[in-house]
Parts: sequence; structure tokens; C-alpha cells
Amino acid sequence: MTRDRGWLGIAGVVAIGLVLSLALTERYHHRILTLVFLWATMGLAWNIISGYAGQISFGHQAFFGIGAYVTVLLAAKLHLTPWLGMLGGAGVAVLAALLIGTPTFRLAGIYFGLATLAYPLIFRILMDFLGYQEVAIPMVRDHPVLFMQFEEPRTFDLLALALLAATLVLSRLIETSRLGYSLRAIKENEQAAEAMGVDAFRCKMAAYVLSAAPAALAGAIYAHAILFVVTPDGVFGVIAIVQTLTVCLVGGVGTLWGPVIGAAIMIPISEILDATAGDRFPGIQGVVYGATLMAIMMWAPEGLFWRLRRRPASVARATPVVPTAATAEAPAAAPGPVQLEVRGISKAFIGLQALADVSFEVREGEILGIIGPNGAGKTTLFNVLNGFLLPDRGEVRWLGQPITALRPHLVCRRGIGRTFQVVRFFPHLTVLENVMVGAFAHGDAPGAARERARDALGRVSLAGQADTLPAGLTTLELRLMELARCLATSPRLVLLDEPLAGLSSDGVEMMAVMIRRTRAAGVTVVIIEHTIQALVKLADRLVVLDHGRRLAEGAPGDVTRNPAVIEAYLGKRWLARHGPDHAATLRP
Amino acid sequence: MAASELAQYVVTGLLVGGVYALMSIGLALIFGIMRVVNFAQGDFMMLGMYLTFYYAVALGIDPLLGALLSIPPFFVLGLLVHRAFLARVTGGGDPNREMDAQLILTLGLSLVITNATTMILSPMPRSINAPYASKAFAVGPLLLNQARTYSFATALLLAAAVYAFLTRTDLGKALRAAADDPEAAGYQGINVRTMHGVAFGIGIALVAAAGGLLASYHPIEPNVAVNFIVLMFVAVVLGGLGSIPGAFVGGIVIGLVQSLTLLLLPLQLQNVGVFVAFLIVLYVRPQGLFGRRARTV
Amino acid sequence: MSRLTRFLALTLALVLLAPMVAVPVAVAAEDVKIALVAPLSGRWARQGQLKKMGAEMAIEEINSQGGIKALGGAKIVLREADAGDSVEKAVSAAQRVLTREKISAGIGSWLSSFTLGVTEVAERLQVPWLTLSYADNITERGFKYTFQTSPVSSLQAEQALDLVVEIGKKNNRPLKKAALVGDNTAATVFFFKPLREKLLAAKGIELVADEVWTPPLADATSIVQKLRATQPDIVFYGATNFPDSVQMLQKLKEFNVKTIIQGVGAWLVTPEYVKAIGKENLDGIQTVVAAHPLKGQEALVKKFVERTGEPFMTQDPLCTYAHVWLIKEAAEQAKSADPKAIREALAKIDLTAGPAATTLYPGRIRFDERGRRVGAIPIIVQWQNGEPYTVVPTAVSTRPLASVK
Repeated sequence: MTRDRGWLGIAGVVAIGLVLSLALTERYHHRILTLVFLWATMGLAWNIISGYAGQISFGHQAFFGIGAYVTVLLAAKLHLTPWLGMLGGAGVAVLAALLIGTPTFRLAGIYFGLATLAYPLIFRILMDFLGYQEVAIPMVRDHPVLFMQFEEPRTFDLLALALLAATLVLSRLIETSRLGYSLRAIKENEQAAEAMGVDAFRCKMAAYVLSAAPAALAGAIYAHAILFVVTPDGVFGVIAIVQTLTVCLVGGVGTLWGPVIGAAIMIPISEILDATAGDRFPGIQGVVYGATLMAIMMWAPEGLFWRLRRRPASVARATPVVPTAATAEAPAAAPGPVQLEVRGISKAFIGLQALADVSFEVREGEILGIIGPNGAGKTTLFNVLNGFLLPDRGEVRWLGQPITALRPHLVCRRGIGRTFQVVRFFPHLTVLENVMVGAFAHGDAPGAARERARDALGRVSLAGQADTLPAGLTTLELRLMELARCLATSPRLVLLDEPLAGLSSDGVEMMAVMIRRTRAAGVTVVIIEHTIQALVKLADRLVVLDHGRRLAEGAPGDVTRNPAVIEAYLGKRWLARHGPDHAATLRP
Repeated sequence: MAASELAQYVVTGLLVGGVYALMSIGLALIFGIMRVVNFAQGDFMMLGMYLTFYYAVALGIDPLLGALLSIPPFFVLGLLVHRAFLARVTGGGDPNREMDAQLILTLGLSLVITNATTMILSPMPRSINAPYASKAFAVGPLLLNQARTYSFATALLLAAAVYAFLTRTDLGKALRAAADDPEAAGYQGINVRTMHGVAFGIGIALVAAAGGLLASYHPIEPNVAVNFIVLMFVAVVLGGLGSIPGAFVGGIVIGLVQSLTLLLLPLQLQNVGVFVAFLIVLYVRPQGLFGRRARTV
Repeated sequence: MSRLTRFLALTLALVLLAPMVAVPVAVAAEDVKIALVAPLSGRWARQGQLKKMGAEMAIEEINSQGGIKALGGAKIVLREADAGDSVEKAVSAAQRVLTREKISAGIGSWLSSFTLGVTEVAERLQVPWLTLSYADNITERGFKYTFQTSPVSSLQAEQALDLVVEIGKKNNRPLKKAALVGDNTAATVFFFKPLREKLLAAKGIELVADEVWTPPLADATSIVQKLRATQPDIVFYGATNFPDSVQMLQKLKEFNVKTIIQGVGAWLVTPEYVKAIGKENLDGIQTVVAAHPLKGQEALVKKFVERTGEPFMTQDPLCTYAHVWLIKEAAEQAKSADPKAIREALAKIDLTAGPAATTLYPGRIRFDERGRRVGAIPIIVQWQNGEPYTVVPTAVSTRPLASVK
């Protein structure tokens, strides 16, 4: 979605809302319109934490209810105007988000979601306990406007529309900002995001707090426009979260159009059903509404927005990627000073010593290959270097500074980049936007990040694919995109985890060219592969791991003749039968 | 407080928890094998209650037996429901994406079931009122409600049967394989979609049986699920998603916590105790009591 | 699109379109329309349907007796709207039904939170509204269009206490210890509060157990243990949620706790209790309600039972029946179907005869400036042999009070 189309779309939605509000005459129709706006707002708020960040929350009605109760209680007890009261409600909701989020973000996936559910359930019981089973909003006959009581029902729609507009703007701002890219990266793969410099906890908390405020304001307006009587069940109960989930999941998660579409369709359907069949045959409205939900989900499981946007699978194939610029590669310069020191790293898991006293150095500008048979501990080593794992013993030093205990996003910011064995891309973002996530590692401005991302794509010869969706890329192109994303973080050293896996021999060639190009641009490269063959020509030096120990180290030619290495890969018997020299000439 | 008084609290909690436990196992199985969050679980329990009621009133069958007799028809119902609806949105690819769709799908299903039942069978509550619903076994100074005790015992037996099925039979192992690694299971010749259907069928059958047991002392009406669905989910998550013994223990724990909370908090805050305990367990052990820790990268 | 999905989509389209092409029920222009907003689906559907039965019976009677004479024999037509199971739906229903057509007056909505919301809509749209809800706060908002025919909870607490103390003295079993057992729904809270705070103490009765829960109740054991330990002479009982109440009563039997059970509300006398508890175990349980069939209303009850198949008639259909008749009287006196005029008539009304007055004890219908019925006195009803009977006040009782063993 281009930038301008987004803002234009928001203006369009607001305009349609205005027109409807002015055109409709019946009180009941205004109520339906208000409900559409309010639930769309609630859906958008939920979308910030659950759609963008992927942390599905089943407890967002906690903020909705806080907004309603705080506003109404302040008005009933202290005679405070709800215009101020709802700001208080939003404030309390933000505080609640901080308090709830801090311990709860440690939980992953649906555990997070159901833990969040506990809070509104607790609040519901507390409200009953405190005697607030039914707080009727006292009708104010003089100065009703001061107390958000309008004779003219249209005013409520306009108020709700204003909140919707504000929340749309907020969502769009998040979408196009660094926070938005970081959130979507976190949703896809939190660890990969961390490796690209994203501080996951801070981002999630920011999203949570930003999502709490509109929810609370929606709750406050809901209480005054729709309920007139605040009950614990009505604002903290399942109804609120079911409605929120419905509009978001029917409309489409992870986009600001989803809740709008979902609300615009499902709420009028619900009300029409109530108004026509429901009064005469009570219960039928539930059957039809439920059946409608099922039908929509079976036809559009990803939500209506994404379903309607689905383009045919074939994307115009650009010509195969060919390295631009001179193919002559600069000869490898002599390696520079030591950048990365790995000293005595040991790491054990239950029943398995994954790494045992591994030490080596990486010099600036070299291409170091780390090889070893499966299970040798190579990826574990990267995880330690990167900050995902704390070693039991040993330390890692980067540019002279210890980084052993540093969190992954900080390791990235210091200049160490990383790719993963399985490419994790963000399917709903273009290739350029995928790379931008990494580009944000060193700066906030979306414009500058975009430039850095373009530059990185150019370096891997993928510039032509900048605006396609990753679903249309080949394996090679995906790996190149991942390399670009890593390069966009402006690293001084990159850890590449099996970048050649799954590629044809042409693809391997291409990747090798890119890797050399990367080194030529001044970035040190450390590669994991488990076939020696691939690295023999590429790497300056090889380190061999086996069963967590450093088995050998040296120039590729020497390492491949090392009997211990051969034995590790092919076994004693093979070595005995064929001898060391034979191995070096083997082609898999 | 006298030891016998405390013991009574514990015993009450265990018995109440037993039925929660059985309700939760079905949900855990469905989630564990299929990654489906079945919003309609409580409503199938409600249907199970009605079937047991029918057995009792029309055929004179005791609800405990009626509960067991509900298992075959509901297994078949589960297979059909899965084939007709769920299979279209699950079992294909990314479980994260799918969870969204089947949440709403099962929500829609829940609405259809509840409202259709209200229209067809009327909202008037029905009761079986088994004679043992208001009698108790006297065990020393303790009183054990008979209906709840029978339910607890039956729940335990059914849970053990399910566990044995999953760990000892070939079909059970195939189910677990399909859950652990659908792709690899496919290569082994296991039809993952059929396995999902079987898992759903068993899950529905179990909760229907739980409903039948419940019906021996609890009134039956179309919206009865609303009182239990939250506790079911809490039990499953508390025990560790995907763990059958975990869900069982989770249910028992909830019953115990509900009962023992009364020693600390006023009666009105009874369930607050449950939710607070739930949060504490999750914060200390994020994967639940028996869940597996997610691997890193 | 798969076949199944296409089929579902087609069905959906048909169902949505059908009401629009369906032939509307013929309604003559001068018909007087009364709205009934009550839960007709969802958790409380049973209660809403009972109300509807009462309303329909009254309407059929009135129309067959010539309709509203002052309006040239205009017939009454019921416009029901489903309040569902949430305040949002209830208020939507009220808005919908009150703006679709001209409604002369309305009735509803059973749950006090629904009533609070619905009456606010009625107040804004200036349509008079009758309710049987007990909660005090319904008529403490300075509204002009809300009329509460039941005695309010706090008053019921006072009067019920007086009555049971009287009974105790007469039977030579004075009340010394009392317990409060119930949930924290509004009506129960409003009833228990004055008892707890002053009324019991004023009568020299000790409060020995105060067990209030948030529905649903997980298990009644701890409560009944407390009762067994403290042995109250009377338990004021407010378990409005049917499964909670069934559990409590079963547990009392299980633990063999004997005491006078004085319920608070009509939820305790619905027919489903008979199957759930068994009629022997119900014997002697009493409850205070706003209305119950009185001596002389046997024909009415017979008609209701024959029409609906219900085993007996209770407060909800009875009050709704009375409300419809009351609106009819107001329309006669106002000589108009205009809601404002009917409101004026209700505010001034002083009715001592007719089905409405006969049903609402003590037989005179007058409202004060808040909208509360002046002189409303609650009825005590007692289960005897599987059916609830009016026992107090003895002047209108249909059976004498049976003492509890």
C-alpha cells in the first residue's frame, strides 16, 4: 500500500462516515452507525497489539471496561464531566497496560492471550464485589452536553467517528513508522527481529500502551451513547472481546482496513437480524449470524480484506538475477586486526554438551567458514555469539569489548548481523519493506531507512524486485533478500547460517558472488555450512566443530586433508579405506 | 481451623475439580493435536447434557451410564463437524494464521448451536435430579457428595482411558505424530486430516460425557456452557497447552483453588482466587505446569 | 466457492430478504400498540417468555371484551422486542421498538440493569414505561415516565421481616438468629443491605452468617457448612441464578440442615424447581414476591394454565397481565393513545377495581411523584405439595401457612 493511498483511504472512510451520519434520520440507524464506529475503533486498537505485533490479546476489554467505569464513576461520584473523565479513563488504562504487559509479555503465543483474559475477568468480579453491579449514568437535565448526553443522536455518531478517525490516523502512523516495521518483524519471528536490532520488549510495550488508550476512550463513549447503564458483564465481559475479535478477524488482521470492513459488515447484519427476524422468532438471529460467521471464515480465512486483495499467484517474472557491475572480484585483501574473539565457550543442555571449550578468532575482512557434521553445535555457537544463548563458561569479545551477556538487538546495534537457516519473511510486506525492518536498526526516520534498504537490495542485485511480495520469489531470491535485510543493519560482521542450503549449483555460485561482494564492501563474513565442498573455494579459513569441540582450524586445503576431520564426516572406516587425499577431491 | 474442616475444603475442591478436569481434557486434545481453540466446546457439552437427559427421561438410563453412552454419537458428530467445517480452514499450513480463522468459525458454531437449541428445545431448564445428587457418603467427619464422587471417579477412568489410548495404541501414536510434525507424519503415510477429525471427535465426545456427568446434579439449559467455558480454558492453559494429563491436573487445581480461596478471600471473590493463581503459575512457569518449553531459534 | 459455502450464502441471503417480502400482519391504523422489551433469547429467555404469556392473555381478554371503549373499541396490539442477554441489546431493542411505530406505552425488562437502560430510552422518547423490577434505584432518578408497580426491595425487606417475625411469634418459634445467603445481583443486594445494616438488629435478631457470592456458584458446601455450624432460625435467601439455587437446596438436604428458608423474589417459584429438587424437598420454602395469584383469582389462573400449558401462574406473567390492563385503564381515562396523555393518566390514576387493581395487592393503584406505587405490599408465597400458594397476607391467601418441621 503506497503512502498516499493510505491517507487517502482514511479520508475516504471519514468522509463516508460523515455523509452517513448527516443523511440518516432515524434514531435507531444512528445507534447502528455509532456501534459500527465504536467497534471499528476497538478493533483498530486491538489490531495494534494483536494484528501488527502478533500478540493475540483476549483481554482487551479490560481497557474498554476501565474507560467506561472510570468515566462513569467520576461523573456519578465526583460530578466530573466525562469529557475530562474519559481522559482519566485513558490514563488508568495506560497504567494498567504497563502493569499487565510487564510480566505478561514474557509469555508467548496463546499463553499470552489467555493470560490477558484473566484480567478483565478479575475486574468483572471486583466491580460486582465493590457494589458497582449497575451504575446508571445519572440523567443531567441542565447542561446535558457537559455530561455527554445529547438530545440529538447524530452527535454521538460524530463523536464516535472522531475517535475512529483519530485511531485510524494513529494506526497509519504506526504502520509507516519504525515501530510498525519492528512490530511486524516481531510478529513474524521475534528472534529474527531481535537479531536485526529490534528491542522486542520495548516495542511490544509501546504497542500495548498505544492500543489501550483508544480502547478506553471507546469504552467511555460506549457507556454514554449505547448502554446508559454500566454493568461489569457489559464492559468487562465476553461480549466486548467477541465483538472485537469478530470485526478484526472477519475484516482482516494486520491492516487498518480490516476492523473497518469487519465492523461495517457484521454490525449492521447483526442489527438487521435482531430487528427483522429476531423479534418475531427469537433465537433465529443468533443462528443466522453464527452461520454467516462460519460461511465468511470458510471462504476468507485470512479475513475479507486479504481475501479480496489476493492476486493470482503468478507474478511477472523478472529476468533471473544476475550480478550487475564487474564480475571481476577484487582479490582478497590481507585480513585485518582481530574483530571477534571467542574464548572457551561451553554450553550444555539437559543431557547434551552442545559446545565444549570452543575458541577462535575472526579477523576483519576475512571470510571464515564454520563447518562440521550435523549436530556439531554450529547453530548453537551462532546463538551464543548473537546473544540468544548465555554460555555456561567462556566469553565473547567484539572490538575488544565483552558482549557475552548482551541481548540480541544490542549485539546487532553494535555491528554484528545474522541470517537464519530458514528464511523468515513478512508475507504481507513487499521485498523492500521486508528489508526496511533491518534498515531501522540505526535510525528512526522511515525515509532514510527506505534509502538504506534500497541500497542493500542493490548490493545483492535484487533492486528489480523491490515492490513485489516475497511469495513470488525463488529460494535464491529469498536468501538474497535475507542477506540484504542483514546488510541493511549496517553490520561490520555478518553471521550467515547455512546460506547455501537448498540452492542449485547456479544458485550457490550466485550466493558465493554476493558473499564475496559483501566482504569486498568491508564486512567480515562468518558462514556456517555443513558441506565442506561449498566453502572450500569461498572461505579464507575454516574452523571445524564436532560434538561441540573445535576439531581443527586452518586453510581449507589443510583442513580437508586433516584425518580427524575426515573421520568426523565420513567415519573411521571410510578414512581407512580411502585415505586423506581422496577426500579433498570428492564431489558430493 | 480444625483439620477435618480443612480436609472438607480439600475434598470438596477435588470433587468439583474432577468434572472440570474431564471437560478440559477434550479441549486440550483438540488444541494439542489440531491447534484449534474450540469456542464451541462448552456448547457440545450442553448437547451432551441434553442427550443424557433424554436417555434418563425416555429410557430410564442412569445419567452416569448415559454419559458413557453419549460418547459414540458425539464422536461421530465431531468427525462430521470437523469434515464439514473445520477441515476447510485448518490442517493446511501455518498454524498461526489458521488460529484466527477457526476462532471465529467455532464462535459462529457456538452461536448456531446455542440459539438453535433455544428455539427447538425451549429455554426452560430441565433437570434429572438423580437421587444421589443430594446424598453424601460419610467418610469419617467428611461428607462426599455422591453425585460428584461418582462423576469424579468416572472422569478419572475416562481420562486414564484417553491417556492409555494416546500412548499405547497405534492410532493414538499416529495422532500424536500428526500433532508433533504434520509433514513428517504425512511422509509416514498418516493422513493428517483424518487424524484431526479423529482428535476432534474424541475431544467432543469427552466433553459431552462430562456434560452427562454434570447433568446428574446440574440443571440443563441451552446457555449452560457460559458458566464453564472460561474455567475450561484456564484449566487447559494452566496445565500446559497440548498436555492431556496437564489439563486434567489443571481442572483439579482449579477446583482446589476455588475451594481453598475461601480460606483467604470473601466468597464473592472466589473466582478471583482462581484467576490470580492462574496468573501466578503462568508467570513463574510460562509454559504451564506440564507444557513443553518452546525451543529457541 | 465450494458447494457448501454457496448453499450457506444462498440461505443467508434468503433469510435476510424474507422478512422484507413477508406479508406484514394486518394492523389497523387506530390500534393501540404496547411494547414489551424482555429477554426472549439467551440466558434469561425463559423469564421473558413468561412475561410475554401474561401480556398476550391480557390483550386477548381486552380485545375480546370490546377493546378500548374510549377510543371507539380500538384493539391492543403487542410489539415485542428481544432484549437478548446484554444491556446493549436491551437498549437497542427499546430504541428499535419505540422509534419504529408510535408506541403508547411499554413494559419490561426483567433484569434490573436492562430495566434501567430501557427506561432511560423511554424517558428520552417520552413513552410511559411499566416495570415489575424491585430495585430501589429504578425510581430514584427523577424520571417522569417510569412507573414501578412492585414494592421496592428496601421496603420489601422491612415488610417481609415484620411478617416473618409476626409468624414466628404466633407459632411460638421466635426468631433469634438469621442468615443472609445469596448472590450479589442488584435486587438481592438492595434487599440484604437494610437487613444487614439495621433491620435485624432493630428486632434483636443476630446475624450469624452472611454468605454472598458472585454467580455462578462453584459449590455450596462451604456455605451449608457454615449454616450447619451456626444454626440460624431463618435464612434470607437470594440465589437468583437457577443452577446456583438448585445446588444450594440440594446441599441443604444433603447436610440435613433444617431452617426456614425465606426467599427474596419470584425466581424461587418457577415450575422447574419441582423436577430439579423434588416436591417433598420444596415443601415449606417461602419467598416474598410482588404478586402471586390471590384468593378470588382462581378463574384467571385456570385460564392461564389452559392457554399456556404451564403448571401454575407466577409473578412475571401476572404482573405483565396487570400492566397491560393498567395501560388499558389509563388509555380509557386519557381518552387517547398518545404516550404523553397516557403518562398523565398514569400519574393521576387511582384505580380500585378491575383486573389490574385486583392483581396488585392491596388492590389500589396510585403512583407517587417518583413513579412508585403507593401502599404496595409484598406477598409471601410458600411451596406446598409441588405448587406455590399465597399464604400471607391471610386475607388474600389461597392456603394457610404451613409450619416448617
